[in-house]
Amino acid sequence: MTDTTITPKRTGRIAGIPFLGEAILIALVLAAYFLFPYNLAFLTRILIMVLLVLSLDLVLGFAGIATLGQAAMYGTGAYAAGLFAVHVTGAPLPGLVVGALAGAVLAFISGLVLMRARGLTLIMLTIAVASICHEIANKARDVTGGADGLRGIRMEPVLGLFEFDFIGKTAYWYVFVVVFVVFLLLKRLANAPLGLSLKGLHESPERMAAIGAPVYRRLVLAYTLGGGIAGVAGALAAQVTQLVSLEVYSFNLSAEALIMLILGGTGRLYGAIIGTVIFMTVHHVAAAADPFNWLFLIGLMVLGVVFFLPKGLAHLPTALTRLVRGRT
Amino acid sequence: MKSSFFRFSAAATLLLSTAVAGQAETIKVGVVAPFSGPFALYGKQFQEAIEVYQAQHGTSAGEHDIEFIYKDSGGPNPDQARSLTQELLIKEQVDYLAGYVFTPNALSVAPLLDQSETPLVIFNAATSAINAQSDFYLRTSYTLWQVSAPLAEWAYEQGIRDVVTTVTDYGPGIDAENAFVTAFEEAGGTILDSIRMPLSTSDFTPFIQSIREQSPDALFTFLPGGPPTFGFTKTYNENGLREEGIMFLGTAETEESNLQGFGDAGIGLTTAYHYSADHDSELNREFIAKNVEMHPDAVTNWATIGAYDGTHVIYEMVKNAGADGPAAVESVLGLEWESPRGPLTMDPETRTVIQNVYIREVERDEDSGLLVNREKGVIATVGDLGWAE
Repeated sequence: MTDTTITPKRTGRIAGIPFLGEAILIALVLAAYFLFPYNLAFLTRILIMVLLVLSLDLVLGFAGIATLGQAAMYGTGAYAAGLFAVHVTGAPLPGLVVGALAGAVLAFISGLVLMRARGLTLIMLTIAVASICHEIANKARDVTGGADGLRGIRMEPVLGLFEFDFIGKTAYWYVFVVVFVVFLLLKRLANAPLGLSLKGLHESPERMAAIGAPVYRRLVLAYTLGGGIAGVAGALAAQVTQLVSLEVYSFNLSAEALIMLILGGTGRLYGAIIGTVIFMTVHHVAAAADPFNWLFLIGLMVLGVVFFLPKGLAHLPTALTRLVRGRT
Repeated sequence: MKSSFFRFSAAATLLLSTAVAGQAETIKVGVVAPFSGPFALYGKQFQEAIEVYQAQHGTSAGEHDIEFIYKDSGGPNPDQARSLTQELLIKEQVDYLAGYVFTPNALSVAPLLDQSETPLVIFNAATSAINAQSDFYLRTSYTLWQVSAPLAEWAYEQGIRDVVTTVTDYGPGIDAENAFVTAFEEAGGTILDSIRMPLSTSDFTPFIQSIREQSPDALFTFLPGGPPTFGFTKTYNENGLREEGIMFLGTAETEESNLQGFGDAGIGLTTAYHYSADHDSELNREFIAKNVEMHPDAVTNWATIGAYDGTHVIYEMVKNAGADGPAAVESVLGLEWESPRGPLTMDPETRTVIQNVYIREVERDEDSGLLVNREKGVIATVGDLGWAE
């Protein structure tokens, strides 16, 4: 008799050592803080983008929901947190909750309709939702400031203790803590029954339906969770930049987030992080070196990854091992 | 590890020391503008203008050398603009900022300017409200009110009584509409209808038809440059509005980088604007000749002149106050100078230039065979009329 118990492979664990990944992350964030003290504003933007890409990873990478409209939830979270700071209180943490709720509510309501569609139809619909949000924000000039942007956001210190400073130290650590907490939650989710059933949905919705899983409800739930996380990312952006513009709803943002995710590898939390960091760093360095032609380099990089590492950069170690062993 | 600690504390001390420095040193100017993507032309023109100014006036002002550092902001993207600006201030230790094409990009850095006491010269962004957000904003472009309101008054003087406004439905369009409607009604004219067209419109026939049916004396329009402008004027001509005596009134529509694209359809369009490459002055001819000599494919238009005059203001500030931000701003309030576009004064209150606004008509130049914005009239010394709105 052989043992037939199947233990699901735990995702997100590096080399089988628990919390090694988290330790590396913290070490890298610390190192970046001391190595690039002049670039904290940029590093903070990377962290916020990581959060947006993580939300996309949950929706697209795990649950397999094809979307090009994650900016809808990001933007709504940004405007909600911005308006909350202008009209209610400048305390950052309640602002985050408001942003998360706004993103989740939009995702839930739109998800009720969207999750009935699949494939190209779904992609078109997600783009449509973001465009509608864009148009509403543009029309509601008195509330959102329209194309001039929502201004007048003044943030109070985090927890009443840490003032947002000029160099951006507080913003950096504040954003990192939020991103890290969400990351841990997502990692936990990935190994929980819900995460596993989402992966099942990704592989084959028909089979999941056959074993009695409520496919539609699970998809709506995943989309809502992803929306909430995107809302937090938007809220962070609004609080750090202290201005929200119509660009938070732009198609470009959704598309770039997707490119970063594909670059790093979908369905893997570390892939989302690696892809974002590499894309934004290359963008930043190349754009600083040559403000005119840097897009060319980005294009080459994306092409290279798609050709040689179709599963993303997170797959690089495996691919290299195979190459060395001479297996195809 | 030790060295990185050192670098960090060095950053902090350098930040403090910028306020007290004043001796002969290299002054750095950070230019934030789009150098890639659909708006890259702005960045290119800014850089050309700065190079022309440097070729004419040298690379130093007073006892200081001046160095420009360019950063690509892409399109309207306040997150990016703000973090680039922060980096310029902290890492590059710039003493002045310049550029800023889009209103949200310019607005996002207001708190940084106040905290670091760094003057920022806006080369383009044209919303009046920006300068009220910080005392360190100076503007050498124009505001939408500055050109739209005088056009309304001029039109009324020409005997035009009924106007339909038709603008693209986005921030600048609505600003232009507000300015025109307010000024025209104040003068005693009637606005028959205010149409707002969606930003993505490509077929303008329904709007033009509706204007035709109302048969006003003129239409006022504001469109983003490029294809929408061509589409709109083409439809205007094809539907015979010109023959029916409905005059075309615009502002930036016929600016020089678009102008040749109109072909003969552009002839006769009337616009009010602060700069025409055809402006008849020795200074302007020299300016354009130098620009074309240094950059053979360059088109000189309002973006070029905004950056050119902005560079002049920066040179003056450096000459007067070195790296001392508040003193530098103070020293150029009320500054008067002769620019290729005409006489300019830096308004001490709004910190936007007071300038002539010209009424122009598109004509085909007999010598060159090219279309030009020929100046037909001038409304002297207009300040930022949108300041108090």
